[in-house]
Amino acid sequence: MASDKKEMVGYRQQPGKLDFTRPGSGGSSSISRERESDTIPESQGGDLPQPWGPHRHDDLITGRVIGKPTPLIDSKWKVTGQALYGDDIRLPGEIIGRLVRTDRHYARVLSIDASEAESLPGVLGIATGEDAPHAFGVLPVTKDEHAMAVEKVRHIGDIVACVAAEDEDTARLAANSIRIEYEDLEPIFDIKDGLKDSENPIHDRGRYHIGESNVQKRVFQRFGRVQNIEDSIASHESSWTFKGVNHGFTEPHAVVAHWDPRGRLTLYTPQQVPHYVHRALADVLEIPMHQINVYRTFVGGGFGGKSDPFPHEMCAAILARKTGRPVRITFDREEVFWTNRGRHPSKITMAIHADDEGRLSGIETDALIDGGGFASFGHVTTYYNGVLHTAPYEIGAFHYTGARVWTNKPASGAMRGHGAVNSRCAVEVGIDDISEKLGVDPIDLRLANLLPPHSATITGFRITSMGMRECLERVRAESGWDEKFRNMPLGKGIGVGCGFFISGSGLPIHWDPNKFPHATVHLKIDMDGGVTIHTGAADIGQGSDTVVAQAVAEVLGLPMDMIRIRSRESDTSPVDLGSYSSRVTFMNANAAVSAAMQIRSELISAASEITGVDEKRILIGDRRVYSKDDPSNGVSYLEALHKAQEDRGALLASGSYRTPPMGKMHKGAAAGLAPAYSFSAYVAEVDVDVETGKIKVEKVWAAHDCGKALNPLSVEGQIIGSCHMGLGQVISEEMRYGRTGNLLNPDLLGYKIPTVHEMPEVVPIIVESNDPEGPFGAKEAGEGPLLPILPAVCNAVYDAIGVRIQELPMTPDKIYRAVESTCRKGGFESPLDLPSPRLVLTSLSKTLKERGAQHSIRDKMRRLESEIGDYHNGALFGNDPETPPEELDPDWHVQVLPDEEYLEEPGLAGSAWLHTERRHRGEVE
Amino acid sequence: MRTPAFNVHTPNTLDEAVETARKLTDREVEFDWISGGTDLIPNYKWGINPKSDVISLAAVEEIRGVSMYRIGAMARLQDIVESEEVHPLISEAAASVASIMIRRSGTLGGNLCLDTRCFWLNQSETWRRSIDYCHKCDEGTGADCRVIPNQNELCVATYQGDLAPALICLGAVVHLASNSGRREMPLEKFFQLDGITRNVLRNGEIVTHVELPESSSSMVGSYQKLRQRDAWDFPEGGVAFAVHIDKKGKISGLNMASTGFESIPRSHKDLVDSIDMGAEWGLEAKRLGAELKRTVRPVLNTWFPPSYRKKMASVLAKRAMEEAAKRVTSA
Repeated sequence: MASDKKEMVGYRQQPGKLDFTRPGSGGSSSISRERESDTIPESQGGDLPQPWGPHRHDDLITGRVIGKPTPLIDSKWKVTGQALYGDDIRLPGEIIGRLVRTDRHYARVLSIDASEAESLPGVLGIATGEDAPHAFGVLPVTKDEHAMAVEKVRHIGDIVACVAAEDEDTARLAANSIRIEYEDLEPIFDIKDGLKDSENPIHDRGRYHIGESNVQKRVFQRFGRVQNIEDSIASHESSWTFKGVNHGFTEPHAVVAHWDPRGRLTLYTPQQVPHYVHRALADVLEIPMHQINVYRTFVGGGFGGKSDPFPHEMCAAILARKTGRPVRITFDREEVFWTNRGRHPSKITMAIHADDEGRLSGIETDALIDGGGFASFGHVTTYYNGVLHTAPYEIGAFHYTGARVWTNKPASGAMRGHGAVNSRCAVEVGIDDISEKLGVDPIDLRLANLLPPHSATITGFRITSMGMRECLERVRAESGWDEKFRNMPLGKGIGVGCGFFISGSGLPIHWDPNKFPHATVHLKIDMDGGVTIHTGAADIGQGSDTVVAQAVAEVLGLPMDMIRIRSRESDTSPVDLGSYSSRVTFMNANAAVSAAMQIRSELISAASEITGVDEKRILIGDRRVYSKDDPSNGVSYLEALHKAQEDRGALLASGSYRTPPMGKMHKGAAAGLAPAYSFSAYVAEVDVDVETGKIKVEKVWAAHDCGKALNPLSVEGQIIGSCHMGLGQVISEEMRYGRTGNLLNPDLLGYKIPTVHEMPEVVPIIVESNDPEGPFGAKEAGEGPLLPILPAVCNAVYDAIGVRIQELPMTPDKIYRAVESTCRKGGFESPLDLPSPRLVLTSLSKTLKERGAQHSIRDKMRRLESEIGDYHNGALFGNDPETPPEELDPDWHVQVLPDEEYLEEPGLAGSAWLHTERRHRGEVE
Repeated sequence: MRTPAFNVHTPNTLDEAVETARKLTDREVEFDWISGGTDLIPNYKWGINPKSDVISLAAVEEIRGVSMYRIGAMARLQDIVESEEVHPLISEAAASVASIMIRRSGTLGGNLCLDTRCFWLNQSETWRRSIDYCHKCDEGTGADCRVIPNQNELCVATYQGDLAPALICLGAVVHLASNSGRREMPLEKFFQLDGITRNVLRNGEIVTHVELPESSSSMVGSYQKLRQRDAWDFPEGGVAFAVHIDKKGKISGLNMASTGFESIPRSHKDLVDSIDMGAEWGLEAKRLGAELKRTVRPVLNTWFPPSYRKKMASVLAKRAMEEAAKRVTSA
């Protein structure tokens, strides 16, 4: 105890020495606890089993918080109503901004007459597109948005002008009194029309414009051996229609902009990606970035819907600059739908082939996605619809054509499971169907076709840890699959679905990953012993603040109450790419670990200096730094800290994370590339009312491989929440457009988010595959868990009533229509007479079970042994596993441009390649 | 969404209420009655026919109360659900309304007088401007009907109250009051004309209560409701069916009524009169369902397509009849 020591008197006047906290420790408990050996990994001599082998962070484990259910550190703010969301920010002298939204689908703005609005008492400022001529957008390659319409409005609800007034009523009145003259243009609503040449394409991409069409992005990829497809014995083919869905977060968008007396802008906004707003504001306002502070408020749900820089954020800043007053703008729910950025409405054609050994000889996908009025994340989405179904299965050939078109509807964008959800559903339903055609159990088929750990997918993604097999085995056992599948009465069904997802995008959008890190975390520890974490990662309710705090607490052996987070302001946080692509736990916690390791080594040095114990023999436990060999020989955390602070004061550390070099070199190879991938498998049990077509999902067994559950409470919450969100898309949610192209249900009564009555019991099953690069082995858990619920429900519905429909949501009317037509075809008078599907196993079943068992052994070896060879997709088809197949096999395609043969008979999205870019037509310079 | 400003009048008695209405009418002030507000206030927020004045019935004691044969217009829906006295068919229908929070505010009178609903109507003003408005709520714009265009007469907005069909089946009589006196009528006669007119209420007239015949206590019934979600959603179709059991335990009367298919709820007494009591109940239920399907005329203005709602009319009718029969047996 520090105060026991004899004080040195006389050298200088000593002020009353103050203990910063209770003796020896710090934190809310005064007694340091011993290390719990069952939280210490085997590799460190503890009792925590490591069936997946040791991890590089094992020696950092102090047994404090990692792996323990930990309430989110901001939860008490939320449950006591003290959390300040976007609309809760109140600044002195604030005024209210209101956006003037167009009532046209597509029109040229001829004039704006604001004279009436200007003359209203209480109106303080009006802005139009002329006030902000610079374009912005979330992706640097597709900046196609403006604060307000500069030339054209592109969908109903697009912003034409904005007003600021003393109060909300006046602002609304003023907004309604602005007269706008338009020249209407021919709108397009049908996604297929977007492929055609148009007199007035919705955007003009200049020399990069594709034909004269509304195609914003097109992708062609052909990998593998086409012969494999030709050798198939069974094929599945289907054409899917997916309606667009919205995130449906609780908090509508809201923003407050304030220019301080020094002329700096602070923007208070519930943003997932504050850094991109920061950049876009600088562009639009024409001021340097250092003049802007982006303040992230609490975020009332994001799910991808708050990750673009938004026009209303620009408008608030513009109005605040014009009026000299803080301006607050809050959306109505209708405006949330008009801003959208939800999942793309899509038309997907899926073909899956299998050969006589039950191998998946090919997947051919054609995805046409409806981008609405703007690009948003669409460039990436177009790739993701293809490349995110190249795993977890080993496939003989992969052919993807994708196109994203503009239509006169609210913009689609990134939403939980970005780009992967719809095509994943089509793949998994296809696999279910092909299992039936082959006469095998669909889980057996999957288990016999999985890529192993530490392998490369057909497009070159680097798979590291891989817990797909365990996920499947767990849900199979826990759901009672083997007794139930194809064995239940009419109306009762069970189905399986899988998924995999990126754990962070390998490529930072705005910079070279080889030069700048993805994430940076700063730590500051002063004499009080508390640790302040500065990070730019945006906690959007997913718990990113908590996970970063956990990482630091674990490494330093501190209780959570000694950790405080400052993650709100760009003025104080290091730049972070934000909360999207499920990157935060992986990248930010890694950065936090690396920063904490620096502090840790300083504490160890200090303790070594005090105790004389060799640094290598020192352990950190609960607020104590001590000798491994003689635990009584040690110092408290504060003693070690104060020693380390001698001569320099507060300790500082900066840690960062960047992805290793990986992936192939073809165009588009970086899309979908991630430092790790999560895997999941769900089994859903449903009850279908055949007379009404209504689906009730009764129970879901949801296994997710998140590498290591740093906070099991959060992981389970993410799994259950994902089930709810995915369930909405499969049974009831859609943005429905009427015959006039109007969005009919821009409200939460018309937009059918499942209620508690629709929500099934979810059994979350956490699989921990111990990712070598993840922080303490962790991977993502926020988006991947959404993917499998859709196909699991679709497949369960088939098991229940023998009907497949390829349109989501499967509202009762659609199910009923399919039931009716099945009855008609089968000659059944009543739906109640329909037979339930049954499974007759073929001899292939045995082959698959045997291969699955062999692969299980193979996979266990690959995850445990340190010296393992490469494994490239294609080995299952006889290629050398250690060499990329294209290097040995002349028939192995790596093709990213269509050939003439393809263009003679292109798929729907593939037909986008019939257009020639303007620059190749020689019409423009 | 912003609720427009309005003046609230809070009379303490029924006489005061109708007198307030008369005074406002004399001054040519437009007003609405407000009870629970769960229907009216959202409509005001959408800018659907907001008025400068509303007369709140919250303080009018006489029109409250829930008992076996009389339910006040201001009875809260949840009180109806929880009441031991009220007929189970009425509780069943009330329990299916929206969510518990809305039921704790919403009232019987409000549910009976529920405004009709339509995809082209229940939208914000900016939205409606984009379709050149709707003739139900944007008077003076020369707007047409967007569901069935090129006709400016009929409004086909859908009536989606849950209580009306149950009450009609039980033979409920609705009591109205206004400054010029009181009147009463069988509930099915209360609903009239189209989606704009909705019912027989005159300006300044209100529903005071519904009265149930004593015979209703010997009736057994079932209410079947079609909707996407089992909370919040209005009926996309609803069918109530009730049978009267005489003292000897024999069925001596039948009734059926529907909601959610058209602009007003409807009694289907004529259909059930054709039921052959000698035939097998299940087959009759199926036949009657098919009959009902031919009768109802839904249009494309709610969540489910009209063809589906029409087909489901037959399933709802069949299930209501089968369920009622089950309950008769168990009673």
